[in-house]
Amino acid sequence: MLPGMIGMVQATEAIKRLTGVGEPLIGRLLTYDALGMRFREVKLRRDPNCPLCGANPTIKDLSIHAEGAATACAVGGNDHGEPVAAPTAAPAQRSGG
Amino acid sequence: MKTLKDMLAEARQVVPEEGPEELSRRLRAGEQIAVIDVRDPDEYRDGHIEGATNISRGFLEFRIGAAVTDPKTPMVVYCQSGLRSVLAAKSLRELGYTTVVNLKGGFQKWAQSGLPVVKDAPLTTDQIQRYSRHFLLSQIGEKGQRALLRSKVLLIGAGGLGSPTALYLAAAGVGTIGLMDGDVVDLTNLQRQILHTTADVGKPKVESGARSLRALNPDVNVIPLPMRIDVDNVLDIIKDYDLIVDGSDNFDTRYLVNDACYLAGKTNVHGSIFQFEGMATVFAPNEGPCYRCLYPTPPPPGLVPS
Repeated sequence: MLPGMIGMVQATEAIKRLTGVGEPLIGRLLTYDALGMRFREVKLRRDPNCPLCGANPTIKDLSIHAEGAATACAVGGNDHGEPVAAPTAAPAQRSGG
Repeated sequence: MKTLKDMLAEARQVVPEEGPEELSRRLRAGEQIAVIDVRDPDEYRDGHIEGATNISRGFLEFRIGAAVTDPKTPMVVYCQSGLRSVLAAKSLRELGYTTVVNLKGGFQKWAQSGLPVVKDAPLTTDQIQRYSRHFLLSQIGEKGQRALLRSKVLLIGAGGLGSPTALYLAAAGVGTIGLMDGDVVDLTNLQRQILHTTADVGKPKVESGARSLRALNPDVNVIPLPMRIDVDNVLDIIKDYDLIVDGSDNFDTRYLVNDACYLAGKTNVHGSIFQFEGMATVFAPNEGPCYRCLYPTPPPPGLVPS
């Protein structure tokens, strides 16, 4: 049932975007706690140091993805003074939620 | 008694006018202009300026508030020849829409100048019934429904998140839905992946998904993409779509979709779930943060919803 709730939030946002109505869920993270039945909203800000959309991007194409999942995921950590938590083994997840 | 001539002359004194070339130039420059077509719906359907909102002269004062929420929005009104619209513009000014400009020569002059015209195929009787509840919502209306019917949405994943999203988008009349998933239906999927049925176990998810969506709404052109998204196919696939819905369940795909959507300038509607919690947000390039702003580094392996 949980994915239904989130999937319908996604569907709603898609329709809003396509028709240009309402206030989009841009810059806001909506979280849902099924057990507590609570929605919360967290403000999101653009990271000026983001390696993709920041002021000085280092990701300008998809080449990092070609080298393997660990590199692709971990690349963002370098600019944030955080340890790069590269997954040792990429989980063999199937698409489909 | 005032004559029509007097009324038009009076209106022209207070309503500024601009020609089709000037309006076309401003629209091409990306200016945010509310263009209002005050002709009757059948005239509008026969041809109108792209992006124009149709509010017939008779309903103008009643419906303008829903169509243009900020009275300071630059506004251009037009009719067939520019006469009805100059009277309409005068009424709008009296309502406080002081930025309103009349299109000189109306739609006729616009079309004669060789500027682009949008023609809507008439909705079928079935479509008018199917979407009648959308037409009752003033912000959606026939214009919004046509926008949906023209829209192309790519769903990455036809599983737990993709199932409800796909069903509702198809029901709402999104014209083209790309359904992408490389998996087959497993019995363990069925307690949440409502796009598929028990009889579909073992079949590709895009096959059962496409069948469900077509059965729900034959207006929808469903494009089954029986593959995983990867670095080699992502850009070529997303380029055909207006909007991407990420219903994937792993971080590699999320980073890949995020990066590709940003580079291609596509909006990415993101969702994820884990056990009893879920989250959703919209990543729109240069309008807000991206997935990497939110998660500069991936969470430790194992923390992956499935």
